[in-house]
Amino acid sequence: MHAPDDKARSRRPVLERILIRSWEYRHLRFWAGYRIVAGIIVAFCGVATLWVGAYRWAALFLVPAALLLAFGYWEMTIAYRLLYAPLPQRVRELEQSRSRVVDDSAAGLRRIERDLHDGAQAQLVAVSMKLGLATKKLGGMVDGTGQTDLDRVLELVVAAHRGTKEAITELRDLARGIHPPALDQGLGAALATLAARSDLPVELIIDLPERPSPAIETIAYFCAAELLANAAKHGGAQHVTLEAAHVPGLLRVQVTDDGIGGARVEAHGGLAGLAERVRTVDGRLRLSSPPGGPTMVTVELPSHA
Amino acid sequence: MRIVIAEDSAVVRAGLAEILADGGHEVVAAVGNADGLLAAVAEHRPDAAVVDVRMPPGYTNEGVRAAIAIRRDHPKTGVLVFSQYIETHYAADLLGAASGGSAAGVGYLLKDRVSDVDEFLEALSRVAAGGTALDPEVVTQLLAASRRTDTLGSLTAREREVLALMAEGRSNSAIAATLVVSERAVEKHVANIFSKLTLAPSDTDNRRVLAVLRYLES
Repeated sequence: MHAPDDKARSRRPVLERILIRSWEYRHLRFWAGYRIVAGIIVAFCGVATLWVGAYRWAALFLVPAALLLAFGYWEMTIAYRLLYAPLPQRVRELEQSRSRVVDDSAAGLRRIERDLHDGAQAQLVAVSMKLGLATKKLGGMVDGTGQTDLDRVLELVVAAHRGTKEAITELRDLARGIHPPALDQGLGAALATLAARSDLPVELIIDLPERPSPAIETIAYFCAAELLANAAKHGGAQHVTLEAAHVPGLLRVQVTDDGIGGARVEAHGGLAGLAERVRTVDGRLRLSSPPGGPTMVTVELPSHA
Repeated sequence: MRIVIAEDSAVVRAGLAEILADGGHEVVAAVGNADGLLAAVAEHRPDAAVVDVRMPPGYTNEGVRAAIAIRRDHPKTGVLVFSQYIETHYAADLLGAASGGSAAGVGYLLKDRVSDVDEFLEALSRVAAGGTALDPEVVTQLLAASRRTDTLGSLTAREREVLALMAEGRSNSAIAATLVVSERAVEKHVANIFSKLTLAPSDTDNRRVLAVLRYLES
């Protein structure tokens, strides 16, 4: 992954990484505070023991107090560094992700316009041409100025009919690409529809006791759609597992296929596009695809954008 | 007439070729991009070219630029540009670049107009014969955007109708047929319009279109 924040994360000491592996590292501050307060109380007990002259018992209080205070202080410095110190860096990240969102939505609208223009709109223009011609021919037959050729008219109407059906299909696909209707029933239902439409057999593992926010559901859905399509197109896979799990604060979507592996995140490629999209809401995408497979892509998103 | 089609959508290209063939015209070439169009026009020297505005590779105004080039290099070929929506400034570009500033042999229509087969074929003949065909939508937009609202407001409703049809490039007789009035009456309206807009009266249809459009744009 080329994500700058991922690089920053990997440079952190191992212990720190263990400590902040939780998404909600805001909790760190709470636990740090708790430990420091506990340390002070225990230390106070230790001092009281010293005061009453029970020197042998004092160590029992003072050593844990020192440990608690030291650990709490360490946690607190990390918490503050994460939450407050890198504000300029955070601002920079947010600026970047905001401009990505803006570019992304502009590009999305342009794509929709192009799809409409080249698809349904062109199809309907062609249909209106056929119907115009049919009208002219029928008019000529009715008022006797043209030759009677019902076969030709039928042919035109049949072609126009076929054209409208194609336009309807194109519009339906386009509308689904903008907002999949199944998503209104929840991410689970939408993913089930997606899996059923997939070219490959998809094993679905859904554990979504609560719904994430709509924006997150949409991103998760389009990630899953793209990843399934990737598996069918490039991976040489026979079987795909789509897993979606939501625990408080974190939605994880994982697509695993039994294909040839060797997938990489390439600049301007599909996976890089997904990673960008995921990063705009502070999520992340991880790829594991050793040569020979299996390929596993994990998308982690916060519950609320 | 011998006609070249330039349109990147295969379904629209086929539909257009069908209509032209049915109207008794010969489609000598049907291409999908601007370079192909210029080559086909140079090779076949057609009477008219029907050209889509948006074509590969850029999908912007390739058709308009090709149309201007054709008018410059092959004055005998009329160019009818059509697109799925109207950009008034393309109309201005086309008319402005028309040979000798006479607006001869250019047209700009919405693609939907093609389905009114007779009207479309009529517009195409007009363009091939060196006339003008502007989409009513272009004229409506020009009228709406015109800053000369005071003077335009002094026209009667009928005169405004005549003005719009005149700006589309129609002749007096065509205007008379559309409005179901006598040609004599149309001539009277036209004279009134020109005097109210303080335009010098002109005899040819094209000069008159150009005069009206310049008036609306200024």
